[in-house]
Amino acid sequence: MYYRIIRNDMLKSKVITLATIIFVSAAAMLVSLAAILVVNLSGALDMLMTQAKTPHFMQMHSGEVNTARLASFAEQNRNVDEFQVVEFLNIDGAKIILGDRSLTNSVQDNGFSIQNEKFDFLLDLDGNIIHVSDGELYVPISYMQDHTAKIGDKAFVSGKEFTVAGFLRDSQMNSALASSKRFLLSTHDYAEIKNLGSTEYLIEFRLKDMSALGTFETAYASAGLEANGPTITYPLLKMINALSDGIMIAVILLVSVLIVAIAWMCIRFTLLAKIEEDYREIGVMKAIGLRVSDMKHIYLAKYAAIAAVGSVIGYALSLMFKGMLLENIRLYMGDSEHSSLASLFGLIGILLIFLAMMTYVNGVLRRFRTLSAAEAIRSGTSSETSAGTKRFRLSGNRWFNTNVFLGIKDVLSRKKLYATMLVVLVISSFIMIVPQNLYNTISSKGFIQYMGIGTYDMRMDVQQTDHISAKTSEIVNSMKNDSAISKYVVLTTKTFKVKTENGSEENIKIELGDHSVFPIYYSKGRAPAAETEIALSALNAEELGKKVGERISLATEGTEKTLTVSGIYSDITNGGKTAKAIFADNTADMMWSVICAELSDQSLVDQKASEYKNRFAFAKVSDIDEFVAQTFGTTISSVKKASFASIVVALVITLLITLLFMKLLIAKDRYSIAVMKALGFTNSDIRTQYISRSVFVLIIGIVLGTLLANTLGELLAGAVISSFGASTFTFAIHPLSAYLLIPFMMIGSVLIATIIGLTGAGQIKISESMKG
Amino acid sequence: MKKMMIGDRIVKSFGEGHEKRNVLGGVSIEINEGEFVAVMGPSGSGKSTLMFALSGTDSIDSGKVVVDGKDLSAIGENELSDLRRTTMGFVFQQPTMLSNLNILDNIILPAMRDNRRNVAKISEKARSLMQRVGIAELEKRDITQVSGGQLQRAGICRALMNSPRIIFGDEPTGALNSQSAQEIMDILSEINADGTAVMLVTHDAKVAARTERIMFMRDGTIVSELKLPKYEGMDMDGRIEVVTEKMREIGI
Repeated sequence: MYYRIIRNDMLKSKVITLATIIFVSAAAMLVSLAAILVVNLSGALDMLMTQAKTPHFMQMHSGEVNTARLASFAEQNRNVDEFQVVEFLNIDGAKIILGDRSLTNSVQDNGFSIQNEKFDFLLDLDGNIIHVSDGELYVPISYMQDHTAKIGDKAFVSGKEFTVAGFLRDSQMNSALASSKRFLLSTHDYAEIKNLGSTEYLIEFRLKDMSALGTFETAYASAGLEANGPTITYPLLKMINALSDGIMIAVILLVSVLIVAIAWMCIRFTLLAKIEEDYREIGVMKAIGLRVSDMKHIYLAKYAAIAAVGSVIGYALSLMFKGMLLENIRLYMGDSEHSSLASLFGLIGILLIFLAMMTYVNGVLRRFRTLSAAEAIRSGTSSETSAGTKRFRLSGNRWFNTNVFLGIKDVLSRKKLYATMLVVLVISSFIMIVPQNLYNTISSKGFIQYMGIGTYDMRMDVQQTDHISAKTSEIVNSMKNDSAISKYVVLTTKTFKVKTENGSEENIKIELGDHSVFPIYYSKGRAPAAETEIALSALNAEELGKKVGERISLATEGTEKTLTVSGIYSDITNGGKTAKAIFADNTADMMWSVICAELSDQSLVDQKASEYKNRFAFAKVSDIDEFVAQTFGTTISSVKKASFASIVVALVITLLITLLFMKLLIAKDRYSIAVMKALGFTNSDIRTQYISRSVFVLIIGIVLGTLLANTLGELLAGAVISSFGASTFTFAIHPLSAYLLIPFMMIGSVLIATIIGLTGAGQIKISESMKG
Repeated sequence: MKKMMIGDRIVKSFGEGHEKRNVLGGVSIEINEGEFVAVMGPSGSGKSTLMFALSGTDSIDSGKVVVDGKDLSAIGENELSDLRRTTMGFVFQQPTMLSNLNILDNIILPAMRDNRRNVAKISEKARSLMQRVGIAELEKRDITQVSGGQLQRAGICRALMNSPRIIFGDEPTGALNSQSAQEIMDILSEINADGTAVMLVTHDAKVAARTERIMFMRDGTIVSELKLPKYEGMDMDGRIEVVTEKMREIGI
């Protein structure tokens, strides 16, 4: 009997049943996809890092290396499993030509290596260790993704010819966020070009016990070994590798939460409308002695059927679409070993949604218990309270057109009913605005401030070369005389030793110079202003356990220097562990220096950049847009895609829900529509009334949605951004799109949906609706 | 006397194919300015359908309806609405009020459609109408807070707001007790005395006996007509007697 009742009921409300199924499917699909992606990402990442035998601790070093001393340190430290020193031959991008393009504009440090013998292997796209023959060149996979090179291309490195034999996965430097890229060539070829660039060393360790990584880091630092360069550890590598896809998963999860909420609303609305429609019948059933649980079963069975169908469709869709979204993970990391487990997790996610829905329906149905049979039969409707609308009277209305007044009045007197639509519209505008703002924010020039980079137009890196200080002043001298340069600053990075809490010493890289010229964003405190102040990157502050106002002591050439922490900032450069100070220092060795410049005419950036590139071949010159594009390019473009996708999704949701809502409303309001018509209101009067209702609700929705997007949305987006290493941030809002274009699109879709939904109202016959 | 409404061989059917059923089988009817008429007949005789056809609230299959010289089938939906709003008033069996407006707002609703700038004047007119039907003190009440008889009076006020030339009443006393019914009929008589035509659809002889002309319907046609002198407040029992006699005679 249940089956028949449910079937009849669904046939009677086809559109609404269908819409609910669609939303449940979408919600199920997204949740399942997110679960599948998470499992695959972590699985693939583990697999990659296992196959490649990624080092647990890696110290980059430019300068001489005392291999014997390092070997004896490795031997004496009981935790070291394996140890190697890898050469990384840095060659200027201009001298690397792949196919017909050079890497001149690359902000990456492009370098050449040979295949390692013990660990840190470079893998081919099947996850196998690559064996290179002479004349062959393996290219980092990111150059395949951006179509810089393809297999079979000719490549020239400082004039020597190679053939691109394939692409490689590098468990350390795969990600665009890692600032170096390794090319692989044969030992023989490597020896031939070795003198054409500067050699850096990667001092790598595999440990027996990963959990003692911290102790090992301290041991390495206090042993006074080679440390002229960034230090990178296994967990950091893992994070960098996971970031790009991690953000995608976060976005999917965010959207799926919202879709689940909308499916919720849909169910709530249809359920409440249905209960109201059946109010008298429910009363009658109760009066003739049917038990509440019997009635509940009928409703529950209906929604169980809908939720089950939706879940199955959603799961099937997620299995269909997962390939598309896994593409990037597969390419960069390979297949996961737990792919079957992933599907299982997807299923569990869907099951949770299903159960939650049933619990919810069950909860709503609890009101059956309090329903009075007598009242239900007598009045036929549950009395909706309309508190607060008494003052809003037609007889006191001078401002609104009567139809507009009636529309607004209806919304005000049936708040509960319209709340459902309101919530959907709020959510829709939220999911349109937040990704849009996020995209604007991370693509805006100001965003790099959050990343520890000031807003200058051009930067010149002088590193991996001799006489850094002399070369730097050479550039500075010519900038001084260049009227096109409005201001510039030299920031010099040196390594110092810092005393940690437990008395041991650790290396810390401090960027010295005037940090007020191109200020960055400080999440706490401010830039160092006095010689005795220092600002720490968030990671360093955490590691050293320092807060703003606390002191740290630096060891410089036998003397000890005490500095007060003036501020903490986010940083993604150099492994996230940096510091900024302004004291003068002549003791420690310079690691590198950066000259940042702002032009008086920003349109000249390209021209100036190439001018300086030609004049100072030893420096790496990049204009900031290029720098940002290459560092965050893929992230920005995927957020852009996501923001467009969410606009489309939100508009479709708005359209569907409004349409659905209007259909329900008209079915419910047949009688009042017939009364209006009998009183001589035209079809267009009635259309105006309904449009006023939806536009009124929409305006409130847009206002609330925008407010919410700028508060809660900012927090949420901040959480996503903080995975980059930033700790606080504010939206850079594009007013035209956020306050004009998006509301305009929403109004458009609501109007379309309302007008389509209202076609039924024109056909309501007074004579049929007024009888009885 | 001037004819204000002419129905000429109106045919209207419901259903399709085998289930097709003629509800009006070529009914012709005329109503004069200021006339007080009733249409009587058993359930299903087509009397309500006739009223909907004459007022243009329902389409007809063939024949024509002319109101004020305008052929209703020749004018558009919007003009029909305008005509209904300005020339006709409706009083239904169930009080057809909008539940989210109070009594006064329900009454002024049709007038506010065209003339909201005169809201003060409109409200004043509504109040005097309410005074006249005896519900002056109810203007701020919700429609759920008053009795059926009071609601029906409010319905009459609403029908009178645009000073219509004819009022249609579909069993206007059908849901009321006899005391209230009589009071409503008094009000309708008074309105008619002021010059507004009134057409009532009823199966109640007591209601029909108030009018000047009664048309009897059966199976979609007018089978007989009865003329009565203008009701002057006297001899109600005699008039009812005449009507019931006629009903017996034609067997309805």
